[in-house]
Amino acid sequence: MIKVLNGGTQTTLQDGGRDGNRHLGIPGSGAADKLNFALANYLVGNPWDAPALECTQGGLHVRFTHDTTIALAGAEMWAQINGQNLENFTSVPVKPGDILTLSFARHGMRSYLAVAGGLLGDEFMGSVSTYLPAKLGGIEGRSLRVGDSLKSAAPLGERKTLPRGYKPYLSSHVILRARPAPEFEQLTLESRRHLFVSAYIATPQTDRMGARLRGNKTEVQTPRSMSSSPLLPGTLQLPPDGTPILALVDAHCTGGYPRCLQVIKADIWQLGQIGPGTRISFRRCFLGEDETALSQRTEFYGGLMDGFRF
Amino acid sequence: MTKLPDPKITPYGDAAIHLEYEAHGYSAAANKAVLSLAHELRASGDWQDVVCGYHSLVAVFHSHRLTSARAAKAVQDAVKTGRKTRKARPHKVVEIPVYYGGENGPDMEVIARSSGLTEAEIIKTHSAELYDVCMMGFIPGFTFLSEAPKALHHPRRAAPRLSVPSGSVGIAGWQTGIYGLSSPGGWQIIGRTDLQIFDASRETPFLLSAGDKVRFIAAAGISAGGL
Repeated sequence: MIKVLNGGTQTTLQDGGRDGNRHLGIPGSGAADKLNFALANYLVGNPWDAPALECTQGGLHVRFTHDTTIALAGAEMWAQINGQNLENFTSVPVKPGDILTLSFARHGMRSYLAVAGGLLGDEFMGSVSTYLPAKLGGIEGRSLRVGDSLKSAAPLGERKTLPRGYKPYLSSHVILRARPAPEFEQLTLESRRHLFVSAYIATPQTDRMGARLRGNKTEVQTPRSMSSSPLLPGTLQLPPDGTPILALVDAHCTGGYPRCLQVIKADIWQLGQIGPGTRISFRRCFLGEDETALSQRTEFYGGLMDGFRF
Repeated sequence: MTKLPDPKITPYGDAAIHLEYEAHGYSAAANKAVLSLAHELRASGDWQDVVCGYHSLVAVFHSHRLTSARAAKAVQDAVKTGRKTRKARPHKVVEIPVYYGGENGPDMEVIARSSGLTEAEIIKTHSAELYDVCMMGFIPGFTFLSEAPKALHHPRRAAPRLSVPSGSVGIAGWQTGIYGLSSPGGWQIIGRTDLQIFDASRETPFLLSAGDKVRFIAAAGISAGGL
């Protein structure tokens, strides 16, 4: 069992997500950064989508009550076990009474704590992923707080080490490859150019649902009202005030603002490392380039982790 | 049914296909076409998510099964076959009791001013219609309905409320709908229902789905949910 001594800024239980329900208004949720989440699971011998903790910004303190294996991946948070530094991307055994502390995130926003066997939580529509707005999954549909305890399932696989070259590169300046979305042509020429050459900064209004971006003012040529239309994680929407909103993993399933860009699939995992203050640039991705990027990345990581897809 | 022009089909990023019927205001024909197309696509295992808007659709394909080009072709084919075989699917009619006005409908006055109708007339007009459920979305349980009577059309609030209570019934432009959960929102709220459109603990979490029909019943009393 894991005892929570401090929930940190926001720590939630997440798995591979409940895809396939957006037409019901239920977002996919799951780990915001599926790549680092999957790697944490890989290290402790779990399937890539076993439930693990997603710690945002830092501050999570837990105590273990049984012998098990754990691993951290994602944002660097100066983790320690009983005061001894714990490197990301290494799996280590822990024993009853051991205390793991995560400090504050540098480079990236979310860190994943995987435990051998995977953690247990409330299931909804086939997933234990926490979706805070509707209080679904996780522990009573909320983020962890002091006094919570989580059980883990029986370990399935062997502890592993990460081969060279698989550690994802994290930066406080996130570069996202993107393609024009349905209402891109409605933007002024100047705005279309700005989207791909200037950097944006995620404002404090940033959570798992979306990131409000500050940057050059982005405008449409002639504002017109839109009826509600679908959007996906990675869609950049433009409300009338000109500050774009980047839809993240828990984003609304539909929206009524012009959709300017869509981040390519191979880069969606990076959305999970965006937090207040993160610099973001979009790079235009050309037809064909996206599919090559995706198939190469999927082959690379899929070869390591069975069934993993971006 | 009026004959629909061909929809526009374009890639949506590298993960999905976007389809849209040209529509000015509400088009029941376009909405029906989109819903039946979505139904047809979901029957094949090639799609991860098929999400409808009023007149558009985004179909997310499994990239290990389809390429973008093949996915676009599949949507195109479905539009063609759909035109020949489209038939009415079974639906249910759900009556929804609404406490109109007062604390439950803080924007009733706004609508009264713009429409020139009294509160009683607004209630009568809004609850006389049999609405189609055009789409679910936004947040769990949010119900987007077909066009509200013309007199009640009103733009969204300039500044959205930070929290609109669950069950609120509102108007946004020509749209009318129900908030399935408490959420920030900019719709003009004219009433509220006690019915839980979405309840995760229920055996059937969703009370409504796209294609159903809704009729509002003006409920007696002044408050919903012990507000």
